[in-house]
Amino acid sequence: MKALVTGANGFLGQHVVAALLARGHAVRALVRPATPVEGLSWPLTVEIARADLRGAVPESLFSGVDVVVHLAAAVSGGEDAQFSATVVGTERLLAAMAHSKVRRLVLASSFSVYDWSRIAGTLNEDSPLEVAPDLYERDGYAVAKSWQERITRAAAKQQGWELVVLRPGWIWGLGHGYLAGLGQQFGSVHLVFGPSTRLPLTHVENCADVFARCVDAEAAAGRTFNVVDSDDVRIWQYLGDHLRRSGEPGFRVPIPYALGYAVTKLATATSKWLFHGKGKLPGVLIPCRFEARFKPLRFPGDKARRELGWVPPHSYEACLDLTYGRPGAPSQGDAVPKLSAGAAPEFPLPASSASTEAATP
Amino acid sequence: MKTALIGAGQIARQHLACLQEMEGVDVRAVCDLSPAAAECAAERFGIPKWYTDYREMLALEMPEVVHVTTPPSSHFQLATAALQAGAHVFVEKPATESVEEVRAITQTALAANRALVENHNYLFNRATREILAEIESGAAGKVVHVEALICLDILGPSGFADPNLVHPALRMAGGAIADFLPHLASLAWRFVGPHRSAHTVWAKRATSALPYDEFHATVEAERGTASLGFSASAQPDAFWLRVYCERMQATTNLFETRLTFDRVLSGPKPLRPLWNGLREGRDIRRAAVGSLVRKLSGGPGPYDGLWELLRGTYSALSTHGDLPVGLRQVQEVGELVAALKPREVLQ
Repeated sequence: MKALVTGANGFLGQHVVAALLARGHAVRALVRPATPVEGLSWPLTVEIARADLRGAVPESLFSGVDVVVHLAAAVSGGEDAQFSATVVGTERLLAAMAHSKVRRLVLASSFSVYDWSRIAGTLNEDSPLEVAPDLYERDGYAVAKSWQERITRAAAKQQGWELVVLRPGWIWGLGHGYLAGLGQQFGSVHLVFGPSTRLPLTHVENCADVFARCVDAEAAAGRTFNVVDSDDVRIWQYLGDHLRRSGEPGFRVPIPYALGYAVTKLATATSKWLFHGKGKLPGVLIPCRFEARFKPLRFPGDKARRELGWVPPHSYEACLDLTYGRPGAPSQGDAVPKLSAGAAPEFPLPASSASTEAATP
Repeated sequence: MKTALIGAGQIARQHLACLQEMEGVDVRAVCDLSPAAAECAAERFGIPKWYTDYREMLALEMPEVVHVTTPPSSHFQLATAALQAGAHVFVEKPATESVEEVRAITQTALAANRALVENHNYLFNRATREILAEIESGAAGKVVHVEALICLDILGPSGFADPNLVHPALRMAGGAIADFLPHLASLAWRFVGPHRSAHTVWAKRATSALPYDEFHATVEAERGTASLGFSASAQPDAFWLRVYCERMQATTNLFETRLTFDRVLSGPKPLRPLWNGLREGRDIRRAAVGSLVRKLSGGPGPYDGLWELLRGTYSALSTHGDLPVGLRQVQEVGELVAALKPREVLQ
C-alpha cells in the first residue's frame, strides 16, 4: 500500500514513516515548504511532497495513494495559530482528499479531546468527550484537536471513508522525555501533583507501530483506539527515571493531587471574586486544565490489543534505553531507524504550491 | 443593533468578547471562509448563525452593523459590499491597502449615509485618553511633537515571517510593518493633525521572510511634528508614545499600563527634577502593579482601546451622535499611511 503521511517530519511522523517502510508500505511524506529534510535519514524510496496545509492543497498529492495518515498539527503557539494549523489545515486536506480515490484515513487525535472532569476511575474510548461550552475553558491544543477530530469524522461520514482515529497518551522518546503530565517545573524543582498517578505512556516507536498497523488492518476500519503501552508506570518513577537517565539536574517535590486540585479551585474562586467573575489565571491553575494533565485515572488501552492484536514492541525498560541510551553506553540510541536507500521516486510535480523531491539518503 | 462579523480569526475574538458584554448588541451571524472557524466562533460566543459566504450572510441577515476582521487585502471589497448592503461598517486596520481605495470607500460610505469606522484603537487606550485629557484641559499647553515607536519581535517563524506560508500582510507595500502603520499614523493625526510631508527610512536588519523589519519616519503636520517608527529587533516588546507639549511631556507604553508625566512645576527650578522623579517613580510602581492586575483581570488587556472604541461607536450609532472615528479621520489617516509606505514593493 502507499501511504501519504502528513506531519511526516514531526516527532511521531518520522517514526511512523519508518514503521510503514518496515511493514513494506510505500510512503509519500508531506512536509512544509521550508522544512529541511537532509537530516531525516529517509531512503530514496520515500517520496517527499511539500505543501503547507494552511495554504493550497493540490489534489495531485493523493495520486497513487491508498491511505492517508494525518499527523500534522500544531503543538505550540497561540490558540488561533493552533486552530489555523490544525483545524483549517485539516479542513483543506479533507477537501482535497474528497476528490481523490483514497478510501482510508488514519487520524492522530489525542487524549486531550476527552472531558477529564467528567471521567472517574477509568479513561477508555467510550469516555465522554469535551464539548462546548467547557471545551473553551481548555487550552488551544485541546480546542484544536477536538475540532480536528470533529470535522474529520463529519467528512469521513459524508465521503464514506474508512476512518481510524488513534488517540495516543503521552508520547515520549529521544528528545521528548519530559512531559507536561509530570508536574510543574520551576527551574530544577519539579512539583509532582499526585506522585503515584499512573501515566498513559506510549513510546514513540510503539505508538508508530499502531499507526502503521492501522493503514491496512481490517479490524481498524471505522474504529477509535487509545494508544497506551501500559499504565503501570507512575509519575514519580517516570520523572525519577527521566532525571537520572537524562542527567538533568532536578529534584522532585511530591504534592497530593487533591491538594493541587483544591488550590486550583481556590485560585479560581478568588479570581472570580476579585474580578467579578472574569478573572484570568495561568493554565495550571484552571481546574479543568489541571485535571487534563494530572487526574489520577486508569488507562487500560486494551481495545487496540484486543481488536488489533497489537502488542507494544518495546517494554518500558527497553524504551528507556531507546530514549536515553543504555546505561554506560557511549551514545544515546532511539534515533529514527536508519533505512537503506532504494530507487528514486517517480512522482509527477504537482501545482506550484507544492513540489516533490527525493529524500537525501 | 443587529450585528455580523466577517472573519473569525484572532482579532475577531476580541471584537466578539467586547460585543458580548455590550447591551443592545445582537450578534446574529459570523462568516469565515473556513466552515470550522466560523462554526467554532459561533459556538464559542453563542452566535445563532454562521456562514462561509458573506454575500449570503448580508442578504439573509441584513445586519445593521458589520465588522470586517479579515486579512487586509479583503477589507476594501468586504467593507464596500457591507456598506452597499446598508450596514454601518467597523473595519480592522488598515481599512484599505491604498489611498485610492480609502478615498473610494469613504465616498461609498458618504453616498450610502452609513458609518465607516476604522479600528484606531490606540487612540482610545486609557493612557492615550489621559494624555489627551491633560492637553484638552489646557494644563499641558499645545502639542509640539509626538513620538510613537513600536518595538515588536515579528521575526519569529510562526507569524509574519512564517517561512512556510506567505503572510497576507506581506503582500502590502512595506510588508508586515504596513499592518502597524495605521496605529502610528492615527496617533500622529490625533496629536498634531493632518500631515503635510513625510520622510521615511525603510530598512532590513535581520534575515527573515520580511521585506523590511525597521521603519522610521519624520512627519510635518498642521499642528506640529511627529517621529514614527517600528523596530523588529529592539527588545523588549513595547509601544512607546511620547507627547511633547509646551508645559508637559507624557510617556507611555501602550502595550502595558505605564504612563508618566514630566511637568513644568512651580517652585525652585533645581528641585523640579527631584519632584518629577519622585512622581515618575510612584507612577511606574503603580503601573507595574496595574499591568499584573490587568493580566489577571480577564478584561480586554492591551485591547482596552478597541473595547472603548466599540462602545463609543455603538453608542453613537444608537443615538445618532458623533462617531469616535469619523470619515475625515479615516481618510486623512489613510493618506498619511500611504505617504509613509515605501514606493516599491520588494518581491
